[in-house]
Amino acid sequence: MFTDEDLEPVECLSCWKKERYTDEVGVQTKDLDVEDVGVQSKKYEDEGTQTDNSRDNYFKLAETDEGRLEKFLKKVEPRLSKILEKNMKSVAFDDYVIRSYEDDLAVTCTHTLCHDELKDELQITGVSWNSTGSVLAATYGRFDHEDWCTHKAALCTWSLDRRDINPKKPNVVIDSPSCIMCLEFHPTNPAWVVGGNFSGEVLVWDLNKEDDLLISTSGIGDDAHREPVAKVQWILDPNSKGRSYNIISVGGDGKVLIWTMSKKKPKLKLVEGFVLMTQSLPRNMKVRGVRGDKEIGATCISFNSEDKDTFIVGSESGCIFKCNLHAQGNPAGSHIVSSVPLRSPVTFTFNPHHGPVHSVDYSPFHRNAFLTSGMDQCIRIYNVLQDQPTITVEPGEGYLYSAKWSPVRPTLLAAATEKGNLLLYDLKSDQLVPIHKIEASVDNKPVYTLQFNLTRRNLLATGDGSGYIRVFKLGDDLSSLAPRDVEHLSHVINTTD
Amino acid sequence: MAEVEETLKRIQSHRGVQGIIVVNSDGIPIRSSLDNSTTVQFATLIHKLAQKARSAVREIDPQNDLTFLRIRSKKQEIMCAPGNEYLLLVIQKPDSS
Repeated sequence: MFTDEDLEPVECLSCWKKERYTDEVGVQTKDLDVEDVGVQSKKYEDEGTQTDNSRDNYFKLAETDEGRLEKFLKKVEPRLSKILEKNMKSVAFDDYVIRSYEDDLAVTCTHTLCHDELKDELQITGVSWNSTGSVLAATYGRFDHEDWCTHKAALCTWSLDRRDINPKKPNVVIDSPSCIMCLEFHPTNPAWVVGGNFSGEVLVWDLNKEDDLLISTSGIGDDAHREPVAKVQWILDPNSKGRSYNIISVGGDGKVLIWTMSKKKPKLKLVEGFVLMTQSLPRNMKVRGVRGDKEIGATCISFNSEDKDTFIVGSESGCIFKCNLHAQGNPAGSHIVSSVPLRSPVTFTFNPHHGPVHSVDYSPFHRNAFLTSGMDQCIRIYNVLQDQPTITVEPGEGYLYSAKWSPVRPTLLAAATEKGNLLLYDLKSDQLVPIHKIEASVDNKPVYTLQFNLTRRNLLATGDGSGYIRVFKLGDDLSSLAPRDVEHLSHVINTTD
Repeated sequence: MAEVEETLKRIQSHRGVQGIIVVNSDGIPIRSSLDNSTTVQFATLIHKLAQKARSAVREIDPQNDLTFLRIRSKKQEIMCAPGNEYLLLVIQKPDSS
């Protein structure tokens, strides 16, 4: 039934597609032109310029003939050498002090300061310069109390370097409920100041603190002074190897007390104490029937510049005592109560003033010289080795409230008088006539205090009875060391008439 | 040559000598151990002064002549040794004891 059969393929051509045809055609683009061209946007060039140092060109040593110069030098050299050598040994100009300028000698008042609220009412009881010499502090108070002190006193400071210094308004005012009688700035810390008040309290302030400036106080009690504090001073603490300072205070109760500041408590601790007693008085001043252990009021104190244990104390009786921190004098009477044993520091008594001594001052240049001034209107210069004064000067200016040696010129001393003048004496020229007499107070009120500036050595401050402080500038001649002044002072001190 | 420098060095080595200047007759410095401006100042001023001093001496007595001029000031002493052609200035600071 089935058989193999080959059929012829059938071709059906598309009615709509057309057959493609190809054709070969050659094309050729033109050759590419390649060309290399360099371009550069900027051109740099280095060039140096230098302005001429015209001066160098201008200065030129002149040329000269060496031979003739040599001959000239040979001729003059021997004589010149001789003169040069002689010149170094010459003493011809040693005492020749040049006084060509008038300012050299002049003393000018640079500032008149006061605390407007307290002037007229209160007096300046003390002034002190701080260790940098730029801040001046003054205490307001009164010396003439008749009963309880009810004054509103103050400690004021001025910085003289500030441009906006107001002479009527202090930079810092520390109010105090009773009169502050004395003050002294710390010898190295420019912000610390110690003061003593009428109630016998010793106080230490730190001017850098914000609100409560008081950092330490002795308080009032058996240990403290029972009378107004007359003077306070910082002294080196012997146990600290020269690093820290103690405070020594003297008062009207005859006590000489040494305080130390403690780091923890705001209270001064009494380390040592002395008391001046009537048994130390010279025989002609002793009153019969008075016990030997009665106290003598102390008014002022000064330490020796070389021997730090020796000091001089002036007293209300007029006596001047040489004292020593290590003196083993008689113990105080049983009526004095104190936490440390008090004894007499006196080792020697000098010929007394005829009235209370107001100030004593050891010379900073001579270990044996000290000066005193007092109510008997005279300045005395003593040699420690003799009981009679070497020099006595009576300026006739009333009471002399303060006298001090210059820290620069060994023979220069200054004194403040009741008549309101500042006197400057030079022991080298004329011992009896002051070289300068300057009005140092407003309307002739007494000048109570004066202080040289130890850092800026041409400044001196005074404080007067109507509450004004004056700052004086000393001329070059008064504030610079002249040759052989020290020798002159020792010559004056060692001669006795 | 070196003789001149040596002499100057010898003078300079004296105690207290601060400076040496040699000036010629026109007042122009020839040798100096100081800086330029100081040299010029010293040379011109002291030269004039020395000339003036010399003429004063000669006017008083024509046979006489200036041999040495010393100027003592607050800070130093200026020594002038005049010659016919030159003037030697030495500035010395004396010991202030």
